[in-house]
Amino acid sequence: MAHFSPVTGRYVTIDVMGDECKVFFLENGTGQPLVCQHTAGCHNHQWRDLLEDEEITQNYRVIAYDLVRHGKSDPPKNREWWKEEYRLTTDYYTAFITAFCDALELEDPIFTGSSFGGQVALQLALRHPDRFAGVIPVEASDYSPGFFLDWWQHPHANAAQVCASGVWDLMAPQSPDRDRWDTWFYYTQGSEAFRGDLYFYSVDHDLRGRLGEIDAEKCPVVIMNAEYDYLTTPEEGRQTAEQIEGAEFIEMEGIGHFPMSENYPVFKEYLQQALQKIDSKLGARAG
Amino acid sequence: MAVEAAVENGWVDAFRRASDEDAELQAHGRYYSCAFLLDMEEHQYLVKMHAGKVEEILVDPGPLDDRYQFIIRASAETWRGFGQETPPPMHHGIFAAAFRTDLSLEGDLLVLMQNLRCVVRQIELLRVTGVPV
Repeated sequence: MAHFSPVTGRYVTIDVMGDECKVFFLENGTGQPLVCQHTAGCHNHQWRDLLEDEEITQNYRVIAYDLVRHGKSDPPKNREWWKEEYRLTTDYYTAFITAFCDALELEDPIFTGSSFGGQVALQLALRHPDRFAGVIPVEASDYSPGFFLDWWQHPHANAAQVCASGVWDLMAPQSPDRDRWDTWFYYTQGSEAFRGDLYFYSVDHDLRGRLGEIDAEKCPVVIMNAEYDYLTTPEEGRQTAEQIEGAEFIEMEGIGHFPMSENYPVFKEYLQQALQKIDSKLGARAG
Repeated sequence: MAVEAAVENGWVDAFRRASDEDAELQAHGRYYSCAFLLDMEEHQYLVKMHAGKVEEILVDPGPLDDRYQFIIRASAETWRGFGQETPPPMHHGIFAAAFRTDLSLEGDLLVLMQNLRCVVRQIELLRVTGVPV
């Protein structure tokens, strides 16, 4: 007998700063929306286990989209994108996410994402604190230089393997082989977007000296960084949280930069802690 | 570890065997041909790969003994982290260590990138063989 997943996929077309973006998203569950961003050069399958987690989805409507140019979300339909160099900016990225949430008419969504998804979570808390009930920036920091590199697209090397093996040791050696290899496999598919995504990650995202402008009382912020992440270490995550009034920090042990994808059971425990912290803050506010 | 000891203790043979018998390297290493120097501070090892197999490993080669295309250089202490069965954070890969420890990647990095999948895998075999410093 065939086994069908409860996860469903749909497309929604949104306008992002004039771009016509046909966005693919997966979802499952009911309750408060939990909007999930994949990492740079990747797609929403990184959230595959969260999407099917009955314990989470009985209380949250988990939604994982593919950012435009990733996975099943094609590049903009109304622009000759192939005549331009792709460089993701903070303005565009945050406009995409808010347009997506508006299109789905999401009320009080919690936003989470890892790596460049974690960095944009901080940007959303800064720019749109009224639009989100809270953010969980994973593998985040105020600044993450050093990864906007031409190697990801160098014509003399196998870009698929450079991207996939280049991020391999962002994952912890303890994480299960199968899940690390699934993540590696995803990374072989996104080299054309990876470099442009990293323009945001390593260049345009720069909140040094600006973290104090984020109000975590208005939009709760729970930052989580992992022990084996060499790009944004737990120490950097902690320092970032300390500069945001009201923000909290959780260090994740024995896991790396793609926690939801490389070792979901370990990540889940930390995610539940973060959701609990946000729930408490929102409850206290309501009370 | 002296040159003789590195050979006598069997690391060269163990690393060759681990590489040549590794399922992943053999499944994907058909074009894995290059030469690189593992500089471990106390000793150097010139690894010459051909079509996914170890052609030769030179221990503490002389200055003009042979050529190589890139160097992975770190202190003996850093390499000892790579040799643990479960390496501590930042000793679990050459990119991690390059960003966060004294490990440096030198020489023609294009050759490294062209062979990245196999190099990354082969360095992980140090968790099985240990490191010869």
